[in-house]
Amino acid sequence: MTLRVLDPTNEAKPATGEAAQRLLSLRGTTIGFISNGKEGTKEYFGHLGRILQEEHGVARIVMRTKSNYSAPADKHIVDEIRQWHAAVTGIGD
Amino acid sequence: MPLTSRTYEVDDLMAAQELYHSNGWTDGLPVVPPTEAAVLACLDWAGMTPDQLIGIEPVREQAITAEKIAINAVMAGCLPMHFPVVVAAWQGMLKEEFLLHGTTSSTGGCAVLVIINGPIRKEIGASGGFNALANSDRATASIGRAIRLGLINVLDVRPGAIDRSTLGHPGKYSYCIAEDEEDMTWTPLAQMRGVPAGLSAVTVMAAMGPRQLMNEWTHEPEELLETFAAEMRGNQRHYSIYGGNYCIVVPKQLRDQLQAAGWSKADIGRFLYERARIQRKEWGEVGKGAVVRDRGESVYTALESPEHLLVVGAGGPAGGFGAVIPPWMGHKTKAVTVPIGACVDCGPEPAKPA
Repeated sequence: MTLRVLDPTNEAKPATGEAAQRLLSLRGTTIGFISNGKEGTKEYFGHLGRILQEEHGVARIVMRTKSNYSAPADKHIVDEIRQWHAAVTGIGD
Repeated sequence: MPLTSRTYEVDDLMAAQELYHSNGWTDGLPVVPPTEAAVLACLDWAGMTPDQLIGIEPVREQAITAEKIAINAVMAGCLPMHFPVVVAAWQGMLKEEFLLHGTTSSTGGCAVLVIINGPIRKEIGASGGFNALANSDRATASIGRAIRLGLINVLDVRPGAIDRSTLGHPGKYSYCIAEDEEDMTWTPLAQMRGVPAGLSAVTVMAAMGPRQLMNEWTHEPEELLETFAAEMRGNQRHYSIYGGNYCIVVPKQLRDQLQAAGWSKADIGRFLYERARIQRKEWGEVGKGAVVRDRGESVYTALESPEHLLVVGAGGPAGGFGAVIPPWMGHKTKAVTVPIGACVDCGPEPAKPA
């Protein structure tokens, strides 16, 4: 005897966003870093920011830290992203 | 109203198992094949339509419908009479203060602890007695499992996908207890948290694994509770220093002694609020000196307030054991209590006198 069984997954997936257009060059750009606030992001992001400025010509680095490392970025950070050319995020565990 | 989920036709029970396992739709154990009849029976019991909205996951904005929760409840082994408890637990998990995305995606690896109160415990056979934190009965086993299967399938909380737990703990298979209300004089947990007497309710908490303790050598309330306080301090030293909702499970042997001495749940909360606290410099004694910095003298309480303690009477009749169940990560998540099949403080505003 055959069984007819049901799909347990959420078939109605929310629309996914599109990847932003890739940058052709980092020169003269503003790059934002969003840390989740954990220790591991601090020195690493600082180091990466220096490399981007010294070796790749990035004009400005913006460092932001989420108020809760387990929640999405705060609204004021999300609102600020549109002023950047690219964003770097990381969990820093 | 008909179900709208995609259907699959399989040859037999074993073929159904392979379908669900091969698609990553299980917790690794066999599941009950969710047929239309079984799912509709759950929905009928709860008086819900398939498209009824249980809530919306706030981060990914995913709608959670009764049909999908019922499918996963059937898979977990739930009977229709268990389903309203599962629904109420989901309603609690979807409250913003529970922080569902953070608690289910964290490397910290907590599980959802479900605590059942009220008359429904007896109706569904949820036992708060022997083996309360483990395989005590069919109802708690299947309700707890339904929560995990629902997270896996409805919100993609699979290991390595949304679930980034480093270790997790065994409660992620099922983590559900009922309070032993008949065998205590204390006020049940749900009433302590504002649910009127006589109503059934569930409390959900993003919880780490239980830390079991033992003290069979005193009748003094302060001494008994000092053992709980020490375990809470241990968690602060070894896991997370930050205060939040802690749950303690107190079995009959210890409960009887506390009750005989006139200690209420509120008294216990006040005692543990005072005693379960450490200074940051204690981290230096357990290998975490690197993050003490200049705040060594700062004091951290395990509980944000005495009311943040969830005291649950449960366990077999003999044995001076108890358990401390720590929060996932301090106050970032809050325990939530939801009445089952009732609406408390959510009706229309009463008419104002003319």
